[in-house]
Amino acid sequence: MDRYVRARYQVNQTPLFQMLSADQCGEIYLAALEILQRTGAKVYDRQSREILAKAGCWVEEELVRFPVGLTEWAVKNAPSKIVIYNREGQVAMSLQEGNTYYGPGPTNTYHRDPYTGERRKALLSDTENVGRVCDALPHIDYAMDLGTPTGVTNTLADLYAFSALVKNTRKPIVHWGFDIEQYQDILDIGVAVAGGLDKLQQKPFFCLYSEPSSPLLHSREAIAKAVFAAQNRIPIVYTPCVMLGATTPATLAGTIAMGVAESLVGIVVSQLIREGSPIIMGGVYAIMDMKTTVFSYGSPEFHILQAGIAEVARYMGIPVFGTAGCTDSHTMDGQAAGEAAMSILIAAQAGANLVHDVGYTGSGSCGSLEQLVLGDEIIGMVRRFMRGMVIDDETLALDVVDKVGPGGHFLGEDHTMKHFKSETWFPTLFNRMRYHAWKEEAKGSSMGERIKDKLHAILANHQAPALPGDVLQKIEQIIIRAEEREASKKKRR
Amino acid sequence: MADFEAMAGGVIAGDFNRVAELTRQAVGEGVEPVEIIGQGLIKGMNVVGARFKAGEMYVPEVMMAARAMKAGMEIVKPLIAESDLPTAGKVIIGTVAGDLHDIGKNLVGMMMESAGMDVVNLGVDISPEKFAQAVREHKPDIVALSALLTTTMLSMKETIEVLQEEGLRGAVKVIVGGAPVTGDFAVEIGADGWAPDAASAKDLALELAGKK
Repeated sequence: MDRYVRARYQVNQTPLFQMLSADQCGEIYLAALEILQRTGAKVYDRQSREILAKAGCWVEEELVRFPVGLTEWAVKNAPSKIVIYNREGQVAMSLQEGNTYYGPGPTNTYHRDPYTGERRKALLSDTENVGRVCDALPHIDYAMDLGTPTGVTNTLADLYAFSALVKNTRKPIVHWGFDIEQYQDILDIGVAVAGGLDKLQQKPFFCLYSEPSSPLLHSREAIAKAVFAAQNRIPIVYTPCVMLGATTPATLAGTIAMGVAESLVGIVVSQLIREGSPIIMGGVYAIMDMKTTVFSYGSPEFHILQAGIAEVARYMGIPVFGTAGCTDSHTMDGQAAGEAAMSILIAAQAGANLVHDVGYTGSGSCGSLEQLVLGDEIIGMVRRFMRGMVIDDETLALDVVDKVGPGGHFLGEDHTMKHFKSETWFPTLFNRMRYHAWKEEAKGSSMGERIKDKLHAILANHQAPALPGDVLQKIEQIIIRAEEREASKKKRR
Repeated sequence: MADFEAMAGGVIAGDFNRVAELTRQAVGEGVEPVEIIGQGLIKGMNVVGARFKAGEMYVPEVMMAARAMKAGMEIVKPLIAESDLPTAGKVIIGTVAGDLHDIGKNLVGMMMESAGMDVVNLGVDISPEKFAQAVREHKPDIVALSALLTTTMLSMKETIEVLQEEGLRGAVKVIVGGAPVTGDFAVEIGADGWAPDAASAKDLALELAGKK
């Protein structure tokens, strides 16, 4: 029995954070609708333009203008919940209001060598390592590649990377591709792993990824990927990288409105292909730093934009791709930790669903497993924070307070035993040792050194269970088929 | 045949009901009380101490284990003469004059108890004279002084001086601890030892009591 009976008792289950009101979210959304009707977007795919024209869009050569009503129809038709499974067919992520999942990012030009710290081109062995480390880290919910592998046929780097990830992690995968031929290869691998296309469609364990080019350009590949995903009923992230002051207005509100407009093109096309197609809007909204021209992954505006897009997407009822755990720093230092911590916290507070780029360093140029391990620790901390507190008779613990009384202690109470592990979070990397213990047992290590130790231990010891032999064989055949295709293309050229 | 392994396991798991039951059973079977303590209860507690130090157990779990050990001890203690009771040394512990902070000192006391030491906890705000009186009364191996405040840690020095004046200093080892207290300070005031945390304080006490 509750001790207190109250009227109008409100509960904040988690810490409250709200940047935009519903009215403000609505205003941004309406602005995005107006951009698409008044200014329109260029769509460089004839088939998609035909579909759009048939649905009532105004098409003049590549330029497509979208009637507000059509766009609104598409948003209402797109699902507000997308469930992603793991390689073994178990529910892994329910992308819906209130749930935040974290993972790395794709296609960095460089990769930080996990042993030497050297910035170099990524190799396929790095992609395999990324899969294994994602598999091992408890707060990393899915895998992305953290570096385009070199040393393989370069037009198949996407396929090789996917194959390396699916072999090395049980967790879901979010993956990019050069074009729809490679997406077909990737889909075929997915079918082999899931044991059939219908099984894969019912329980997708990967999401595809497509990126329009801001401002308001949709390349043939970008839109074709959205079409491919909708036709094959595979979830896709349609996510622009918008650059405040460069590819969008220098103002935050205008930047979010334009970014939303860009995702909306993908949403309209996907819903016209198949009503209810699962699509996730994005994405990476940042500033162009006006001193260095970099696309900054750590600025305070980046966090405002991230919160803004997450809130507008929630208002629209579409799952959203967030960005966090990344840094402009080129090494493992205070900047890297500070920037990662702030974005990871804000992504959770704002309610972004599929948050990527944990492990991005150097403004996105270099994937780093050390940054990923750091991010995992911070995510653990943030998840505890976001759990907030429960208030009831059990947690107010007045009987225990009365039993212990003034001057006593709670260390030996059953109540303490029952709650201390779930109420408090225990770090694995952050140091809470007293000075002497830190000096002696931890050998006076820095956070960066402990991150390396943890990473090296994972790399030395962790291995996801192997895929069945027949599945591995099918994957090999798909890769051989793709190699033959690319070789014959070269010959034709 | 007494199941010492289960008894030690019960201590480690903090299951005081099971430990009490197994102890009673062993006593009923005529097992030597000293053996019950050594082979079962303390053995379990030694594992707990090692695991805590290795970061594999948490403070409340150590408390539960200590409580379980105590449940067994209370059954066997009346069966043995005090002089036969195995002990790793006797400690009196207290927070010095003017300081009401309790929890850290209690933690240290409980750690020592868990290691099989006989601990007399004097409480808080203990004047030098009270410490001296307790030394005369309990004849400990070790006097452990605690302070949390920079303003009260000076009473530690005074306490050691009073023990000296009353001719008791030679019979005991004095150890000091608490947030503001450092190893240098311990040397400066003529203490025999200092430890940075509860687990090391226990190790220090065992060492100074010559039982380790």
